[in-house]
Amino acid sequence: MRKKTIVVRIEISTLLDRKGKLSREKLDRLAMVITNLHNSGKHILVVSSGAIVLGAEKLKTQHFIDDQIGMQALAAVGQAELIRWYQRSFDEYSQIIAQVLLTSDIISYPVRVENTRNTFNMLLDMSIIPIINENDPVSTSDIEYDDNYPLALIVAEISNADFIVIKLETNGKYLIIQRGHNKGIIVDGETELQQKIDSYYHVMVHGEELEHAQFPKSIGDISFEQG
Amino acid sequence: MDYRKVLKDKRRIVVKIGTSSLSYPNGRMNFHSIEKLAYVLSVLRRRGMQIILVTSGAIGVGSGRLGLTKRPKELAKKQALAAVGQADLIKIYQKFFEAYNQIVAQVLLTKDVIAIPLRNQNARSTLLRLLEMDIIPIINENDTIATYEIEIGDNDTLSAIVATLIEADLLVILSDIDGLYSADPRMENKAEIIHSVFEITPELEQLASGTGSSFSTGGMVTKISAARLCLKHGIDCLITNGNDPSILFEVLEGKEVVTHFVAKKENLIDHV
Repeated sequence: MRKKTIVVRIEISTLLDRKGKLSREKLDRLAMVITNLHNSGKHILVVSSGAIVLGAEKLKTQHFIDDQIGMQALAAVGQAELIRWYQRSFDEYSQIIAQVLLTSDIISYPVRVENTRNTFNMLLDMSIIPIINENDPVSTSDIEYDDNYPLALIVAEISNADFIVIKLETNGKYLIIQRGHNKGIIVDGETELQQKIDSYYHVMVHGEELEHAQFPKSIGDISFEQG
Repeated sequence: MDYRKVLKDKRRIVVKIGTSSLSYPNGRMNFHSIEKLAYVLSVLRRRGMQIILVTSGAIGVGSGRLGLTKRPKELAKKQALAAVGQADLIKIYQKFFEAYNQIVAQVLLTKDVIAIPLRNQNARSTLLRLLEMDIIPIINENDTIATYEIEIGDNDTLSAIVATLIEADLLVILSDIDGLYSADPRMENKAEIIHSVFEITPELEQLASGTGSSFSTGGMVTKISAARLCLKHGIDCLITNGNDPSILFEVLEGKEVVTHFVAKKENLIDHV
């Protein structure tokens, strides 16, 4: 049977401590939750922002940067940091990750979409979790500071995901969006996250419109309720 | 005239390192070699040069990470391994460069960066900004979305594209042979390194097609075409042995034995 595929969208703001620095503790916890979800038999793809924030942290305030090119430079420095931190945290749970950088115009290049899909499938088959981010240094669109929902949407389309799960600011809270639904469910804690996704399973399998069902186009289109 | 003298004035340098210089013949990483490379490049940067590193090796590192003993043939598998390996590879570079207080950045490009003008402009601006900030950009191919690229030649072409993109003064290709030989050194004892090349003639190409490395995918042919692209844009290009990266110090002093493709400045064509 086809495994459920989940795109987990992470905004770096949900992983920072009070001083605005990356919290190792929060990232470790996240890596545990994601690995555990993966271990329970799901395909997981993570879309994470954070390259610019970590780039700025790395360079401290040596350089004052507020222009597009400067941000792209910061992203090039910070992405290397970001993936390193992810790697360290996932290593704690013996989970291998991969780095995939995409530009959002990928959708206009069918061959690239196909290649990326093949890569995703191969990674998932090999039990590897791809950590995906926008390839900011070469991106031609405006760098969106911390809204990677559009990229999560693209990844969900390429991977035919069943769910997009969004980590919320409040510790332990997640928003689950099911393909074909505009209403998301907020869950509190990892157990509930897992239970909800498991309980949705049968609904998904029998949904005839699964193939054509879409995710909400923007984060503003999602209404949500407590699970 | 000794054309190698011109090397002393080079300021913006692209260094390309191949898989064979980064790993042992069994495919495992050679940390010693990477550490030396980080040292050498950090020193050169501090001497006032602008350094861009183009690296291969992601698939090899990914294979090692997953304990594979053979290099995969299937494209999707190569791409998957590249995605795993690139994360490891950049971490390793970061670690070694950090020891010399040198900040690095990761830039993943596809070769069509030249074909898409807007992206070209963005990539170029980002790279130039990184250089201004005294950062060493570490460039590799974005294998995950690339198509045919992964099949062809070990980033030699990419390194030449990068050199033209940022109008480098010099491209240094670190390989597993000392340079271009007058004959296949494995076959003929009299084979000698050709020190200076001013024009890439059909005879030269013929020569190059005979020599190749068994470990990397490129061989000499892709290095010659990289050199050709450089010459076309007025950029000097060197091919030398990267087994010991500190050879770069000697090379840039014009001392060491290498093959030097000498660009004619008067024929310089406009940057695309």
